[in-house]
Amino acid sequence: MVDPDPIATKTDEELAREARAGSRRSFEELALRYKRRLFVYLRPRLGSDQDAEDMVQETFLKLFRNIRSYDPAFQFSTWLYTSASRLAISSYRKKRIASGRLDVETAGALADPEARAAGEAGSAGIWDAARDLGGSQYRVLWLRYGEDMTIEAIATSLGKSRLAVRLLLHRARKSLMKRVCPVPVPVEATKAAAVKGTPLG
Amino acid sequence: MLCKLTRWLISREVDRGIKTPRFALRHGERCGACRAYARFAASLPSRFAGERPAFLASVPDFPLNEARWAEDGGVREKRGILPRRLVLHPFPAAAAAILVVAGVLVLFQGVLREAGPSTQDEAAALAALKTVTAAPDEFQGMVGKVESPLAKERQILEQSVASAVEYLQARLNIKIERKDTPKSL
Repeated sequence: MVDPDPIATKTDEELAREARAGSRRSFEELALRYKRRLFVYLRPRLGSDQDAEDMVQETFLKLFRNIRSYDPAFQFSTWLYTSASRLAISSYRKKRIASGRLDVETAGALADPEARAAGEAGSAGIWDAARDLGGSQYRVLWLRYGEDMTIEAIATSLGKSRLAVRLLLHRARKSLMKRVCPVPVPVEATKAAAVKGTPLG
Repeated sequence: MLCKLTRWLISREVDRGIKTPRFALRHGERCGACRAYARFAASLPSRFAGERPAFLASVPDFPLNEARWAEDGGVREKRGILPRRLVLHPFPAAAAAILVVAGVLVLFQGVLREAGPSTQDEAAALAALKTVTAAPDEFQGMVGKVESPLAKERQILEQSVASAVEYLQARLNIKIERKDTPKSL
């Protein structure tokens, strides 16, 4: 019987601590764990797959350079998404300067019409619906439900206040509900069953 | 209005765990849309978690450019740990610069006022110099004026010596005479 790779069983924070101490293998494991997650987080913001891939590479390069400044008191994901958000904002500004006032998210949606059409027509997945919300609503949903981050950690990552994050989440839920279940539930539905296990239950 | 408030309170309970007030619960019993929202909000964590693996699997795989890390790592090892770059924020930096300039100005003004003679002093000194150079005949007199404090001191000293002599003559019944005229000091 083969033992599982010990590095695969470690938490992100343990790996980050090891990477901080100089372990390149640990950093590679972190990068493997997060590259797809970071990609889906950045993709709607940057417009094309290629840009999103480049940004993922840039983010990991930046983290590798600054791994010594990682504070183990914080979650690794908070640090990662904070860096990624800042890099994405910086890239957005550079692009805007280069090509006038270009709205990258709009441009991305226009640049990738096939994917967008596929998302609207075929996929009924809740993540696809969330991605169609675009902008900060998608990002906040990803961090909350995709990364299971706290409101405080999301606020840190996005550089917003906690109230702003809660407001964004609330709006995102309402928008998502309209997309996922646009037909209102009949009022006379079984009330007891409807509220059981919910905040109203 | 009550629907909006109720839904916000439902979101608050989902995000912060603060219990929804009773009035919102009562409203939820009557309002199907708010009930649907509550149900939807409560179902989101499990729905998102359930679909997450498939969503991530749909992302095209791409290699990480680890060679760049190696290059960067090599450079970092050669340089050692670089110190953090000093970042100056514009407003504090400007305020500090203004304070330094103001301090230097105040200090400079104070030093200038104490060190330099006033224009009146300069004028008086020039006038005195002119009188000396313009009237060489009165030079002796001027020197005499300058020496007058010394002559006065000599006179005072002679008087005190004379009174001391008178005292000693009377007290000891002796006679003290001056030998010669006093020499010049």
